[in-house]
Amino acid sequence: MSLQIDTAIHLSPTYRLQWEKAQDMFVLLYPEGLIELNQSSAEILQVCDGKNKLADIVSVLEQKFSTSGLESDITHFLNTALENGWITQST
Amino acid sequence: MAGSLKAPSPPRWLLAELTYSCPLQCPYCSNPLDYADFKEELSTDDWKRVLKQSREMGAVQLGFSGGEPLVRKDLVELVDYSHELGYYTNLITSGYNMDEAKIIELKEAGLDHIQISLQASSKELNDFIAGTESFEHKKVVAKLIKKHGYPMVLCVVLHRQNIHQMKDILEMAIELGADFVELANTQYYGWAHHNRDQLMPTQEQLTTAEAIANEYQASQKGKMKIYYIVPDFFEGRPKACMNGWGTTFLTIAPDGLALPCHSARQLPNFDCPSVRNHSISEIWNQSKAFNYFRGDDWMQEPCRSCPEKGKDFGGCHCQAFLLTGDATNADPVCDLSPLHHVVTDAIEQAATSAAEKPLVFRNSKNSKVF
Ligand code: SF4
Ligand code: SF4
Repeated sequence: MSLQIDTAIHLSPTYRLQWEKAQDMFVLLYPEGLIELNQSSAEILQVCDGKNKLADIVSVLEQKFSTSGLESDITHFLNTALENGWITQST
Repeated sequence: MAGSLKAPSPPRWLLAELTYSCPLQCPYCSNPLDYADFKEELSTDDWKRVLKQSREMGAVQLGFSGGEPLVRKDLVELVDYSHELGYYTNLITSGYNMDEAKIIELKEAGLDHIQISLQASSKELNDFIAGTESFEHKKVVAKLIKKHGYPMVLCVVLHRQNIHQMKDILEMAIELGADFVELANTQYYGWAHHNRDQLMPTQEQLTTAEAIANEYQASQKGKMKIYYIVPDFFEGRPKACMNGWGTTFLTIAPDGLALPCHSARQLPNFDCPSVRNHSISEIWNQSKAFNYFRGDDWMQEPCRSCPEKGKDFGGCHCQAFLLTGDATNADPVCDLSPLHHVVTDAIEQAATSAAEKPLVFRNSKNSKVF
């Protein structure tokens, strides 16, 4: 199972991304579990909206942070996220 | 942050034990043996106050458990309220009192997930361990949970009498459409401690079970997540109990006692505070009970000078108390503990005397004896 570049990416239905004021961070919530996310992971997951494909995610974030060269970091993170079941690509 | 005097990290996990009532009678139940003595349950308003204050402090994962939480008439109301507060809400149930209407009602109230427990993969053994005829109904309920779009954790507590069904249990989990399977070897607190000789598996059983768990973990990858929770008695090192005392977990018992660990009620001179008299922030930040094992100043040898103390925090303090009489001892499941022999002796004793005693089932009649 590895990332398909031509398929849209969305958060898996069993996971919920949520901003936590008390901890000042985004967390990923799922049955009996909680993952505290660093800022870059949270930024990427926020744009996994079921419409964006890999290239869209890269360009949205490069634009947002006025930078370039994010593709390999983002690809690496999304592969881990897919492996962990946080995101899916099935429609 | 161990050992520092900084403000404690906020609670992230709230376990709301709504009631000790339960229609089942599992002999491994972790509820206190004398649970029948704690009849005064918190009111709906008390629970709402606890939920609100805990959420404000940072709790975000919420488990409704018990006993059987479905016994509480206000469950839907509490789920609804928690959902509004932004909790991720988990219902931990035996499935016994569940029906389709309730599943729908809870969904509409915002319940995020249901964990259902079965006792075995066959009707005969399930109903024997549960002390109540429940197997067929539980399977129907599991299917309804999936039908209504919940993520589902299927939980089976493992012990000598059912661990040989490992393969069938996993096949049943696949058939029922579980998203996660929790195969938890019995931990010896409460009723399980009392029934330890009858529940303790043999090393041989464990080796077989673990191999089956590994095999299914590989073949189910990406479909169903399998958590196999090893029995700490056989591991040589303790578990990092509660992720560190007073760092993450807050349990509220049915009568309002706030516990840093679900077994902490039994620790002597501990004065666990009650939510009837204190706010959650007083309890979490200031109470003696929650501060007792924070950091490592409380440790004795061999933990005090052990390089692994940051990893397991000396293990489970309730287990240390239960097995050695002193909660500040190293958890004796650790093979560095000078008292480790109490654990190896227990394994040996179980192997020789299991057949001699009957299981004591968890019910109010038996509870009143303790
Ligand atoms: S372990 Fe069994 S008896 Fe104890 S609360 Fe759960 S279902 Fe009831
Ligand atoms: S001696 Fe104490 S700290 Fe070291 S591994 Fe054993 S229980 Fe953990």
